[in-house]
Amino acid sequence: MTIHSSELTVGRPRPGAIKGIAASLSALVQRRRLIWYLANSSLRSKGSDSLLGNAWLVIDPTIQLLIYYLLIGVILRRPEPAFPLFLFAAILPWRWFTQALTSSTESVRKMGKVMQQIVFPQIVLPIAAIGASLGSFAFGFLPLLVLYLVYPDRITVWILALPLVVLVQLLWTLPLAILLSASNVFYSDIGNLVKHFLRLAFYLSPALFSYDKLLKAAESYPIVVQILHLNPMAWVLIAYRDLLYYGRSPDWFGLCVVALVSIPFTIFSIYMFNRLSPNFAKVL
Amino acid sequence: MTHYPPIHLEDLGISFDLRRSKKRVRRSIIGQTERLDEHGKFWAIRHISLTVESGESLAVIGANGAGKSTLLKTLAGIINPDEGKIEVRGSIATLLQLAAGFNDELNAEENILLVGEFLGVRSSEMKKKVQEILDFAAIGDFAESPVNTYSSGMRARLGFSVATSVEPDVLLLDEVLSTGDASFREKSRARIVELMEKARAIVYVTHDLQSAAQFCTKAIELEEGEIVASGPTSEVIANYTEKMAKRI
Repeated sequence: MTIHSSELTVGRPRPGAIKGIAASLSALVQRRRLIWYLANSSLRSKGSDSLLGNAWLVIDPTIQLLIYYLLIGVILRRPEPAFPLFLFAAILPWRWFTQALTSSTESVRKMGKVMQQIVFPQIVLPIAAIGASLGSFAFGFLPLLVLYLVYPDRITVWILALPLVVLVQLLWTLPLAILLSASNVFYSDIGNLVKHFLRLAFYLSPALFSYDKLLKAAESYPIVVQILHLNPMAWVLIAYRDLLYYGRSPDWFGLCVVALVSIPFTIFSIYMFNRLSPNFAKVL
Repeated sequence: MTHYPPIHLEDLGISFDLRRSKKRVRRSIIGQTERLDEHGKFWAIRHISLTVESGESLAVIGANGAGKSTLLKTLAGIINPDEGKIEVRGSIATLLQLAAGFNDELNAEENILLVGEFLGVRSSEMKKKVQEILDFAAIGDFAESPVNTYSSGMRARLGFSVATSVEPDVLLLDEVLSTGDASFREKSRARIVELMEKARAIVYVTHDLQSAAQFCTKAIELEEGEIVASGPTSEVIANYTEKMAKRI
């Protein structure tokens, strides 16, 4: 990265779409340490001013599970067998999805001050936000292990396929996070909308109920069924539940479709980010 | 090899589209409608042409809101020009504001490495500098504590030490000579002079005319986004002080 003193550093012509995307990707590789530092410090900062510190990374998902268990399992009396595990298998990845999107939406805007002073590839910011949320997602597996002690017969070798499903979810989260982070710079209203949209999507996704029951309830409304099928997170959540709860093979076809759609979508999102990022410093 | 000046601007202009900016900015600009063009764009700087040759240092003076900081940010590559041409060659260091990029949760060493990553300095290179930076900042026993336990003076000292730890070809300064207490100010002044001697080109934005005269070979005066005077530092400053005196 040594720069020769006659090399043009400011005022280079803006690269074309494809070169720009390639430059962004190589910047992400070059600045992997920056991503690591940013993700790491934001993970740490959550626990730093609380009494229980980083234990919250585990307590948080546990409490959420307990609330939904009480609400759906005890009060509404809708339990499936091994209901806590049934819930947790879907709530855990959903929490990751929510955290990834809410934190990446704010990621660029939050760094406005730094961007006024240092030139760096801003695409690292939403990626670092996803990284941090991935970290807290990982901690959520501790309470999951405890649940397996209660339901030991639910553990199967299918757990080993988990990284693949995580990867599909990651691929699907990337473009959304990148687009939201860039557009939130111009319209901070987006941050608010995202929160409400995610809440709605949570109830439309098979997180609290089994997908079959959801489909059955919507049977007489074919449009609703279609919308449910078009929700990529539904496919992802079902796959988690297949692996962690039913102990069976997930629908690989559905997962592949989600992954394959995500890749061009990600490239498009990087392109849009590159189009918008030259104006970030001016707007913030 | 052809010779290129480190900094070369031709008819440079930066405009702000007020529809996209925050309301706060909009309000502060509203009094200056004469700087809006027919499309409602606000030109923070316009028609700026200048060259800084190797070995030269340029002082930028002018009243608040004249566009000095915008010019500096453009030179740093933070803001892209809306018209005209800009060419800056070689590595750039900006001392715009200190402690940029610090994360409160990290300790001094981690923050040094973090800022190094932001700046794109190789981490092996930055690690070698950590001790030197800590020594210069005189953080002492606090080096292991997170930055949010620091006094504002300590933060500023650490920020200054990190920012000046690189040796750039082009040095962009924005009023940073007044950091910390008297003894640190002396030390930081010496460090800046040292950097200035090594840099190929310097742009120094300031209200402190004395230090501008001391450090810079030439100067420009900005008024409402345009260059109204340029030449040897002493002349531009004399002109400017006379004008200011008349206004009072």
